Amino acid sequence: MAFPSHLTVLGPIADLTGLGWLPLAVAALVSPADSPTPPPASSTFESLLTPLLAPAYGTALHLARNRADAEDLVQEASLQAFRAFHTFQTGTNFKAWFFRILTNCFISRYRKGRKERGDVSLDDAPDLFLYTKTAEAGTYTAESNPAQALMAKLGEEQVGRALDALPLEYRSVATLYFIEDFSYQQIGEVLEVPVGTVRSRLHRARKMLQKALYGIAHDEGIL
Amino acid sequence: MRESCNMDRLDRYTCDEALRRVEDFLDRELTADEMRMVEAHLETCEACTGQFLFERQVLADLKDKLRRVALPPDLLARISRSLEPEAGLGGQ
Repeated sequence: MAFPSHLTVLGPIADLTGLGWLPLAVAALVSPADSPTPPPASSTFESLLTPLLAPAYGTALHLARNRADAEDLVQEASLQAFRAFHTFQTGTNFKAWFFRILTNCFISRYRKGRKERGDVSLDDAPDLFLYTKTAEAGTYTAESNPAQALMAKLGEEQVGRALDALPLEYRSVATLYFIEDFSYQQIGEVLEVPVGTVRSRLHRARKMLQKALYGIAHDEGIL
Repeated sequence: MRESCNMDRLDRYTCDEALRRVEDFLDRELTADEMRMVEAHLETCEACTGQFLFERQVLADLKDKLRRVALPPDLLARISRSLEPEAGLGGQ
């Protein structure tokens, strides 16, 4: 683990301040009044953040749609999370808290001045789009598993490309759903939108994703 | 294509009602009563069961493929280096 050792200090002075995760130099500068709800003493910023970095990078990759910006985004979010860790409340969801910082970083830093358009038409595809198309193509029989057969032919790059083709407001919801497995409630907390908005955006996102996947499968001769 | 079974009993959903709930059902975002109503429909409707299984498989494969992302080898070290001076300055 390459984190500096002072990020995991749980020394006696830090314990006295109630800010057990902080390096001693930091703890000396912050009064308990600055941090009314300290993070759990047994946890550290490092131990909470490290398992989230790979999935955070996966999310950042589909938000920013390029590797360099995704790396910068995860680094920036980690830095902002470290600076704000004293505001993290015990008993709340660190993952949702960190991903809210990540998405806010993206919105404030990478979207500033940019107008982004998705590649998939906002015209709704019908419900159960892939099912209908595979049925029309005659690949559905009672004995077969047409979904498995179709998806086995689509690689990670193709599926990622289909997700990246969604307009941002749908791509962000879909990314948090597919990659992070957040509940609708948690997605709403991360993106700061009502659950009903998450549900409706996710519904349209799934249809657009199926439509994009079908387009890729069709163009590449899979269907 | 599917054939509707035209269910209309009160203790289970019709085909249309069940299919409107396929996403929330697979995500377990329905109430317990709604889950039971969908399950009751699927127990007796082969056509809808086929569509639910299709959607479930697509969903599982999409999640699986989209999650195969590795952290770039030097990113952890980059993050660590960026946090070092912050900790030294107070980290606030």
